[in-house]
Amino acid sequence: MDKNATRYSVQLYIYDLSRGMARSLSPIMLGKQLDGIWHTAIVAYGDEFFFGGEGISSCPPGGTMLGPPDTVVELGETEVSEEIFMDYLSSLGESTYRGDRYRLFEHNCNTFTNEVAQFLTGRPIPSYITDLPSEVLSTPFGQILRPILDSIHIAPPGGNVINGGRNI
Amino acid sequence: MTRKLTPNPSCSIGGVKMADQGVADPGNNNNNKPETSEGTIIKVTVKTPKDKEEIAIAEDASVTQFKEEISRRFKAKQDQLVLIFAGKILKDGDSLSQHGIKDGLTVHLVIKTAHKAGDGSSTSASSSTSTQAGSASGSSSGTNPSSTAGSTGSAPPSTQTPNILTGFGDLASLAGLGMGSANFMELQQQMQRQLMSNPEMLSQIMENPLVQNMMSNPDLMRQMIMANPQMQQLMERNPEISHMLNNPELMRQTMELARNPAMMQEMMRNQDRALSNLESIPGGYNALRRMYTDIQEPMFSAAREQFGSNPFSALGGSSESGAQPSRTENREPLPNPWGPPNSSNPSESGGSTTGSTSTTGGSNPSVSNPLGINPGSLGNGMFSSPGMQSLLQQISENPQLMQNMLSAPYMRSMMSSLAQNPELASQVLMNNPLFAGNPQLQEQFRAQLPIFLQQMQNPESMSVMTNPRAMQALMQIQQGLQTLQTEAPGLMPSLMTGGIPGIPTGGGMPVENPAPSPSSAATNTAQQQLMQQMLQMFAGGGAGGSATTQTPEVRFQSQLDQLNAMGFINREANLQALIATGGDINAAIERLLGSQPS
Repeated sequence: MDKNATRYSVQLYIYDLSRGMARSLSPIMLGKQLDGIWHTAIVAYGDEFFFGGEGISSCPPGGTMLGPPDTVVELGETEVSEEIFMDYLSSLGESTYRGDRYRLFEHNCNTFTNEVAQFLTGRPIPSYITDLPSEVLSTPFGQILRPILDSIHIAPPGGNVINGGRNI
Repeated sequence: MTRKLTPNPSCSIGGVKMADQGVADPGNNNNNKPETSEGTIIKVTVKTPKDKEEIAIAEDASVTQFKEEISRRFKAKQDQLVLIFAGKILKDGDSLSQHGIKDGLTVHLVIKTAHKAGDGSSTSASSSTSTQAGSASGSSSGTNPSSTAGSTGSAPPSTQTPNILTGFGDLASLAGLGMGSANFMELQQQMQRQLMSNPEMLSQIMENPLVQNMMSNPDLMRQMIMANPQMQQLMERNPEISHMLNNPELMRQTMELARNPAMMQEMMRNQDRALSNLESIPGGYNALRRMYTDIQEPMFSAAREQFGSNPFSALGGSSESGAQPSRTENREPLPNPWGPPNSSNPSESGGSTTGSTSTTGGSNPSVSNPLGINPGSLGNGMFSSPGMQSLLQQISENPQLMQNMLSAPYMRSMMSSLAQNPELASQVLMNNPLFAGNPQLQEQFRAQLPIFLQQMQNPESMSVMTNPRAMQALMQIQQGLQTLQTEAPGLMPSLMTGGIPGIPTGGGMPVENPAPSPSSAATNTAQQQLMQQMLQMFAGGGAGGSATTQTPEVRFQSQLDQLNAMGFINREANLQALIATGGDINAAIERLLGSQPS
C-alpha cells in the first residue's frame, strides 16, 4: 500500500460564533447545554475553505473576521491534489453549495465541511458539530426562533468566493 | 490488503471470472439489480459533487474496470475520472479491495474538466467580494489625507483606519452582514484588527475594481471623510486639514498612495526622516511638540474613540445612538429577541439609551432636531416615559437607523413570525425593559397586540417608519394632540390613554383625523372604540382605509390649495398642520409659522 504519493494534511478549524455566550446562556435559554455555536472550515493546501451565505469561500487560514479558530482538529491526510480539489470545489459550488442554497439548519457551513472532510480523508467531522442544529431545534425556544433563524445567512467576511459559477 | 475469499464456492478461483462476468453483463449492472451471486458483487456508491449513483461491481475488480463502469454510467472519459476513497486516489493498477472498498461504501468521483481549476482561486483572490472591501477602502483613503498632511503632523494610518472605517464601512455592510449571533461591535473590531494584521488582505481589497472605482472619485472620498463628526471637529480646529481635503490634486495623490502600499511606506519613511530632522533644528522640538498636541492627539483620541465605539456614531448625532445597531444585530442570543425591532422601535433605542440622551430637552431647533421637538413636552400618557421620549427624538434624528433596522434581512421574517405567534410576541414585549415598569402600558399593549402586529406587516407602515419626515410628522401630530389635550381637556380627556401602543399606531392617526371625530363621541369608551376602529382600518391596509374614509389630503384639498397659494409650499407640513387643526386654515397657518424654524 505504499505509494509515493504526496500527502497533504487536512485540518478542521472550529469557531464559536457566539464567543462563549452560548456556553453560558444556553442552559437558560434553551434548557440544554450547548458549548458553542459552531462554524467550521476546512484548511488544506495552505488555505481555509468554508461555505456561507455567499457560497464556497476561501481565505488564508484564520483569515476571516472571526479571527483565529477556537479549536483545530487534525482530520488526517489526503492524497488528493490541490488541482483536483479545486475542481471538486468548483463543481460543488455550482450545484449543492451555491450561495443561495445556504440553510442555517440543514445545509450550512458544517454540512459543507463534513462533506469535504469525507471527500478528502474519508472521515467525517466530529458529531457534536453536525448535531448542533438538531440539538437546537429540539428545544421549544429553538422551534420558536426557527423562522427567524432560517433567514439568517452566516457569511464571515474576509473570504473570497470561489466561483464555480456566479453566485451573486 | 489480503484478498477476501468469499465462502461462495462458485467464486473461489473464479474471482476473475466473476469480474469478467460482471463487466461482460453491462445490461445487468446498469440496472442496479443485485447480481445473483452475492458476495462478489458489491454495490458501491459513487458520488460526484453534483450527483451520485450506485454501481455494482465485482469485489475483486480492479480500479480500471471500475472506471470503465463509471465512465459508462457518468458519460465521461475514463482518463477524466479521478476516484478518491478515504483520502486516497485510486490508481488504475489497484484493486478495489486493496483500498478496502466494500459493499455500501462511498467512493468520491471528480470528473476532471479540461480547464485548470487553479485559476479559480487566484482570480477570486483579486475579485474579493463585498462591502468589507468597500469599507476598508474608505478607511485607507481616509488615512491618506492625514498622512500626507505630513507637514502639519502625521498620524499613523493604522489608527486612522478605524476612524473612517467605522464611519462608512458599516453602513454598507450592515444590511449584508449575516452574523446575527455575534456581537456586532466586536465583529467590527475584529475586522479592523484583521485588516491591520493582514497586509495582504489590504492589497487584495485595493485591487478590487469596486474599490478602485470609489477611490478614483475624489468627491466621494471627501464626502465620506467629512461626514465623520470627529473629522469635522478636527477640521474646525485645524483649517489646514480642510484645505488639504479640498485640494483635488492632493486627494488624488493620496488615493494613489492607498493603492500602492509600497509607495505609502516610502512616503511614511520620508516623513519620519523629515520629522526627525526637524528635531535637530533649534526650536524644532517645540514645534514638533506643538504639532503633536494640536493635531495628533485629537486625532488619536478621535480614532481611539471610534475604535471602541460603534460605527453608527458617525451617522447619528449622539454616540449612544450608535449603540442601536449593536442591539439590533444582537437580537439572537438575547433573551429578548423581539426587543429591538419592536414597535417599540421606540423601545429599542429607548430601552438601551434611556439614560443616554440627556439632551432630550432641547426645544430649540438644532441640526439634528430640526423641528425643535422637545420630547419632554410630548405629553402625558405613554409618551411621557423618558424612554419613549428619547426614543422619539432619536428616531427623528437618526433616520438612517430606522432604515437600516427595518431593512435588516431578517426583520421581515421575524415580524411575520411574531405576527403569527402572538403569545411569543407578548412574552417578548413584556420582557422589554421599556414596558417593564409600567403595567398599565403592558395591558394596553397586550390588547392592541394583534392589531399592532398586523400593522407592522403593512408595508405602508413600514414606509412610514423609514421615512424620516413621516416620523417627524407623526411626532408633530402627537405634539399637536398633546397641546390640544391640555388646551381643551374636555374635548378628548383620555385620548392618549385610549391605548396607543406606539409610534406606528400613531401612524394610524394621520390617516384618520382624530381631532374632530372625538368631538362626536361623548364618552371615553366611545373614543377608545373609535381608536380601535382607526387602528384596525389602518392595519387593514392603506387602500381599504382610504377607501372608506377620505384621506386627509382629499379632505383638505381646498385648504391645501389655499395654503399653497399663500406661499406655504411645504405640502407635508401643510397637511400636518391642517390635520392638527382640523382643517382650520388660520390655525394651520399659525402652526406653520410657529413651528418652522425659519
